[in-house]
Amino acid sequence: MSASAVVTLLLDPELWRLMLTMAAPLVLAGLGELVMERSGVLNVGVEGMMAVAAAVAFLTMLKTGTLLGAAAAAMAATLGLAVVLGYFAITLRSAQLTVGLCLFVFGTGLASLLYRLVIGVTTATPTVQTLPRLAVPGLAEVPFLGTVVFTQNALVYLALALVPVLAFLLVETSLGLRLRAAGENPRALDTVGVNVRALRYGAVAVGGLLIGLAGAYLPLAVTGAYSDGIVGGRGWIALMVVIFGRWQPGWALVGAILFAYTEALQFKLALVTKAVPPQVLLMLPYVVAIVVLVRLYQGAEPPRALGLPYERESRL
Amino acid sequence: MTRVLPLLVVLVTAVLFGSPAPAVGQQQKMAMILPGPVEDGDFNALGYNALKEVGKTYKLETSHSERVAVADAERVAREYINSGYRIVAFHGGQFLTTAQKLAPQFADVSFIIETQTKQVPANVWNINRHFYEGFYPLGVLAALTTKSNRIAYIAGIRLPDFISSLNAVYTAIKETNPKAELKYAFVGDQNDPLKARQSAQAMIGEGADVIVSQLNLGVIGVTEAVKASGKPVIVTTFYTDKHTSAPAVYATSLLLDFNQAYRDVVGSILKGQRTGQYAMRPGQAMSLAPIHNIPADVGKRVEAVYRDVAAGKKVVPDILDKIVVP
Repeated sequence: MSASAVVTLLLDPELWRLMLTMAAPLVLAGLGELVMERSGVLNVGVEGMMAVAAAVAFLTMLKTGTLLGAAAAAMAATLGLAVVLGYFAITLRSAQLTVGLCLFVFGTGLASLLYRLVIGVTTATPTVQTLPRLAVPGLAEVPFLGTVVFTQNALVYLALALVPVLAFLLVETSLGLRLRAAGENPRALDTVGVNVRALRYGAVAVGGLLIGLAGAYLPLAVTGAYSDGIVGGRGWIALMVVIFGRWQPGWALVGAILFAYTEALQFKLALVTKAVPPQVLLMLPYVVAIVVLVRLYQGAEPPRALGLPYERESRL
Repeated sequence: MTRVLPLLVVLVTAVLFGSPAPAVGQQQKMAMILPGPVEDGDFNALGYNALKEVGKTYKLETSHSERVAVADAERVAREYINSGYRIVAFHGGQFLTTAQKLAPQFADVSFIIETQTKQVPANVWNINRHFYEGFYPLGVLAALTTKSNRIAYIAGIRLPDFISSLNAVYTAIKETNPKAELKYAFVGDQNDPLKARQSAQAMIGEGADVIVSQLNLGVIGVTEAVKASGKPVIVTTFYTDKHTSAPAVYATSLLLDFNQAYRDVVGSILKGQRTGQYAMRPGQAMSLAPIHNIPADVGKRVEAVYRDVAAGKKVVPDILDKIVVP
């Protein structure tokens, strides 16, 4: 394969467009997790929460045909799970890793159960209409960038727009400062009269809503159907994206793009070469994720109070 | 200890002398082990329905376990056997080695497997899925329909009977339209619409205008890729007729009638015939769904080829061990 052919392959606009389509749920879930973690709450149940959101969004869309209703129902479902997480992690001060893992297992099972209760055994797979592409007038015609960025569905635009919004909120506003302080030094925040618990609950709720939207994205924007395992590890990758991004929204976006690009590339590579076994290509995104993480984690500093329950009366 | 001893004796006896056989007149019990959820609307749902159907037909007590990984299949099967199940069916080609291991150990149990193996133990029935014979006409359809001369084949797991299907599609294309090129991909999962969609989008991006899919639920992702592309791409699928879910996309489907296959096989077992090969092929537990979205003359030719394969006039080579597509 010549060098120009490799460049053509790597810069194929369709490949990049697909990459961005598949990066959107990682961005949404990653931002949700980032908000939680910046407040000091670790949520490793993202995968399970996304599964519940995917099932609820699909079933609501199937029964009502309302896209907004489906997304809202999914977000409400994950908001409920986030409140459960908050209750255990913030109020009861339980081990956050354990609570998150329980949420993962519970969410995965609940999603499957909901689908079975509503759909049952059928030989005709129910499907719903997926989000259409929205070409941005005047920008969709721009070479390369137009195809890649400006012919996406509405949720991709929303995910991309949320990145600078969240970055601004975190860095430039007093709310962002308080949120970061809750994750770094909750005692200091408490001493100036800010309710750390309420702040953390708020962050967990916002994170839950974003994770719900990420889960809803999969059936509503990509597949038009629900299947067990639809999340396919994307919840775990969202956790990686947060670490990759060193808890910064902009870098989290880069992490999501990197993973989604590698994932999309494997299918292109499978077409142009049979020299590499398909099993190796299927591993590629995860290998990249591990290698990049190992490299980047060195020197990365998570919020100092991440995963630590805050107790006002504690002497520590 | 004296209280525990009789219990131990019973347990050891049970282990040494095997599981309890049904008494004369007692209802026969049949279990099925499925790799995925029965609400998948596809392969697993068909297996589950077949189990219920044979249970009703032969008045069997039935039970099933779903989402069983290959590593767990032996344990699950042993639990059924120890509970008195005398017919254990493995719904899926991935359970072959498990059945081959258990069959000699439980001579009084009849096993059913679904694969393309040629030899089976004395207490195993094989529903031999001649997918390749059914996929040959789909290859003809693709070869005659393509305008770009680029055809795609997408499957999930690299099972032997899927490899032979891919080879049959390639043979059909080469015999029907040698100018056409076949690209293929195994996405690693039969039920992952996300991976299937990404693979299909890559294929469509390369110019494919006909996609022969051998996926289960994953085919929904292929359909979404076609819709998203806005291009006139035709898809064929199998197991169930999915035409109504995307009327403009599907050309046809290779339908598999597991009800008939299991009815015939379990009927033979109950009559005392404990081993055999049941060919699931065009004309027997396999049929072609109505053809749509392609020219009528092409449709008629595809149906004629299908009939020739069913009648044995057209012999399709069964190449299991290697992919012959360059």
